[in-house]
Amino acid sequence: MKPLRSFLIAALLAAAGVALAATADAGPTVGDCQECHGDKTIEKSLPGGKTQSLFVDEKEFRQSVHGKGTCTSCHADAKVPHGKLAAAACGRCHADAQKSYSQSTHGIVHAKGVKDVPGCEDCHGKHAIRKAQDPKARTFRLNIVEVCLKCHEDRVIEEKYGLPDQKVMAAYRESVHGRAQKKSGLLGAAVCPDCHGNHMILPGDQPRSATHRQNIPTLCGKCHSGILEEYDRSVHGKGMRAGIAESPVCTDCHGEHSITKITDPQSKVYVKNIPKTCTACHGNEAIATRYALPKKRFSTYMDSFHGVALEYGMTTVANCASCHGFHGILPAADPASSVNKANLPKTCGKCHPNAGANFAKGDVHVEVTPQKALGVFTVRVFYTIFIGTLVILFVLHIAMDLLGRRRRGEPKTRGTKE
Amino acid sequence: MSEESRSPVYVERMSVLFRMQHMLLILSLLVLAVTGFALMYHENRLAQALIRLEGGVMYRGIIHRVAAVFLMAQLVYHAFYMLFSREGKRELKEVWLTRRDFDDFLQAMRFNLGMSNEYPRFGKYGYKEKFQYWGTTTGVFLLSVTGVILWAETFSMRFLPKFVLDLTLIIHGYQGLLLFIILLFWHLYIVHLHPSVFPMNRAWLTGKVNAEWLRAEHPAEYEKLKGEGAI
Repeated sequence: MKPLRSFLIAALLAAAGVALAATADAGPTVGDCQECHGDKTIEKSLPGGKTQSLFVDEKEFRQSVHGKGTCTSCHADAKVPHGKLAAAACGRCHADAQKSYSQSTHGIVHAKGVKDVPGCEDCHGKHAIRKAQDPKARTFRLNIVEVCLKCHEDRVIEEKYGLPDQKVMAAYRESVHGRAQKKSGLLGAAVCPDCHGNHMILPGDQPRSATHRQNIPTLCGKCHSGILEEYDRSVHGKGMRAGIAESPVCTDCHGEHSITKITDPQSKVYVKNIPKTCTACHGNEAIATRYALPKKRFSTYMDSFHGVALEYGMTTVANCASCHGFHGILPAADPASSVNKANLPKTCGKCHPNAGANFAKGDVHVEVTPQKALGVFTVRVFYTIFIGTLVILFVLHIAMDLLGRRRRGEPKTRGTKE
Repeated sequence: MSEESRSPVYVERMSVLFRMQHMLLILSLLVLAVTGFALMYHENRLAQALIRLEGGVMYRGIIHRVAAVFLMAQLVYHAFYMLFSREGKRELKEVWLTRRDFDDFLQAMRFNLGMSNEYPRFGKYGYKEKFQYWGTTTGVFLLSVTGVILWAETFSMRFLPKFVLDLTLIIHGYQGLLLFIILLFWHLYIVHLHPSVFPMNRAWLTGKVNAEWLRAEHPAEYEKLKGEGAI
């Protein structure tokens, strides 16, 4: 029995040893940490007389996405008691996120040791991190905007890093997207990371950025896919895909952060503002010349009854988009274009049911030159000369009449015979 | 006789009906001019202020059309009156353009330039009045026709190509300007600024003119009335 007993003792000791070794390796349990960090008053003093709470709410931690782990999963160097710990290395598990982040504008600046650019915890939180799908998560769709705006509405930070103006960011709140998520709680409404990305945020002027011009249509098309399809067939879409930088993308007409409904008078595509929006490019001499666009579209429109009426607030009259379309604009030469000669009766007929093929004869944008509109030009010149001559003749006649009256005698003594 | 030459004798020149037509014409033409030119010169600041005053481009249009209906009704009434009433027929005969008006005009020019010693002896209406009358009438007629085409644009579009409507629009505008110029220069001269009537020929209010004035300016009419025993 002796060998057996000694074996049992040895086994027991070994087990105890393993257990001991295991406890020693695992370090403190959550319970051990909570001995100190469960105290709400525990804090450390920072330079400048400030203090930082070191309290960790265990309940919150247990409910977090990491709640099944231990403190040492992230704080590998934690012992009881301990001094200053190394930063939590999220990248050890989240390698992809870490990699994207390090290439982002936040990550690049952060790597230089700048502390007021967001790291993982600034967006995700610390001990209470939840999945983005959890309505309580900081990164939940309906919460993330406020997280971003915490810095991006901070004037000090904006000035320090030359970020877009406060108003630009705040405009999002009043935009159709901002209102949809904030006021209506719609999960489909675009929030910051939908356009800018999350870990891999880059400024819009960098080609790799999600918000770079060339990527905008695809970006907006993630949600507005039917419109993207239409846009891609349009002259603007084809131009943009061909790399023509001046070809308009979604944001050129709709704006960016400030996108509002087309019924909002502030919108760049509100009926009254459409002519100005289109003219930004079509009235630009350089663009019009380079791409051989027809000229004087704005002035000829504004001189037409449609233009005048629109200017004075009649919103039912035709604006650019009424005839040319909007997302699917095609050049007039294209047989599918709404302003192709063959389709004009139908296009005009939307408002003027009697406008037939006969009506469509003649230019819609009437440029009063002998080449473009001889009739109108002639009538205008004729009347101008006629009226001018008439005025001169009137004046001459009056002068002669007065001259003659002196010969006829004093005008006051009426009735004297010649 | 001395008593008679001192107190002026007045004779009727415009009957009540004509004075009323004249008043309505003033009213409707003024409204049409203000609302019309505001649209024609819409880029002008004054025009923009006028359009706002008129309650925006839509109400401007309504006011313009109401005045236009008024004017066209007058034109029709006037045509019927001139063609079928006893007074109208007489007036039409007086105002009808004849070869003599052209001769009178040339004679007046010759006299004014000192090339002749004889000034034409006008009847009730001289070439100045006739030019005024026919200028305004044809002007109003053209404006009415073009105006109706533009007003009934849904109807017009069925028959007329767009360039015809463009022409109609420009004719309407310039014809309005022409009429306005005739009224401003010509009418203002012959019934207001002309030395024999300055500051104003009151016939449009009282219907009557001084017989002595008639003898000086329209001697043929004076003698005709004298022959009829009206003076």
